[in-house]
Amino acid sequence: MNRVFKALSDPTRRRVLQLLRERPLSAGELADQFAVSKPTMSAHFAVLQEADLIEAEKRGRNILYRLKMSVLEEALLEFAHTFGWEMKPAGSRHLARNLRAKRRPLKAEA
Amino acid sequence: MNRTSSYALAPILLLLSALFAGWNWYLQPERAGAWGASIALVAVMALVLLWADRSAKDDPGPGRAADTLRHAITSGGFLLVVSLGLKLAGGLGVLEDPDLERRSRMVVVGAFFMFTGNALPKWLTPLSQPQCDGSKAQAFQRFMGWTWTLTGIAYALVWLVVPIDLAKSVSIAVLVGGMIAVASQGVRLYSSRKAA
Repeated sequence: MNRVFKALSDPTRRRVLQLLRERPLSAGELADQFAVSKPTMSAHFAVLQEADLIEAEKRGRNILYRLKMSVLEEALLEFAHTFGWEMKPAGSRHLARNLRAKRRPLKAEA
Repeated sequence: MNRTSSYALAPILLLLSALFAGWNWYLQPERAGAWGASIALVAVMALVLLWADRSAKDDPGPGRAADTLRHAITSGGFLLVVSLGLKLAGGLGVLEDPDLERRSRMVVVGAFFMFTGNALPKWLTPLSQPQCDGSKAQAFQRFMGWTWTLTGIAYALVWLVVPIDLAKSVSIAVLVGGMIAVASQGVRLYSSRKAA
């Protein structure tokens, strides 16, 4: 389930899922909708496939992506989309804690 | 349900089902036919499980038919355990209220519809099949999944809330309503495809 949450935490990936709700689309058709590089899009597709939210099927020279979401996952997508749910990058919480610790004056110094 | 939990659960649920069926048989020998049929069902499920295990060794990839079978057996085993367990509780006098036993069984059946409906959109037909129109097949599967999930929730709620005399007829109406909705959507999509 953690992979699903991770996949749904990114707005680009959510948009990909929303586009795929209409119909299966090729990698090129999907990439045309976004102003990001092809390797970045491939990475997004990989995350979605790892979470088992989309399925890739080879058709000729194209790769066709289609939705593979359960009802619960689709409801989570709607929830994430409505509330702009975003996951902080890994380590950011740790970084923030370190920064707070640095800013806080030590008791011994005070 | 992931692969690991279903691997561990399926045999446990089947063993429990067989145990509960045998115990029920001991307590209520006059219903030997029902308990015998339950044990026969468990035996068939165990054989299918063994077959799924053997075929899984030959095909280690994801999305295998063996995994689908294992999940189905786990769900069926869960239903059997709850059903036979509640019967046993009634037989042992733990559940004094017969309505409670019936309500609980039906809520589990509703949960089963809900879980099945939830998983329906994940069972994909390969797009390479000539009769598969990707967008329509997807639209139908999504509709079927949502309808069946909501039907399951409604079914369980009816057996939880509605008075027992009414619950049976209302739950059947809910179930038939769900079936009609799915069938009519299927016919609509099929006829629009033929017209195109």
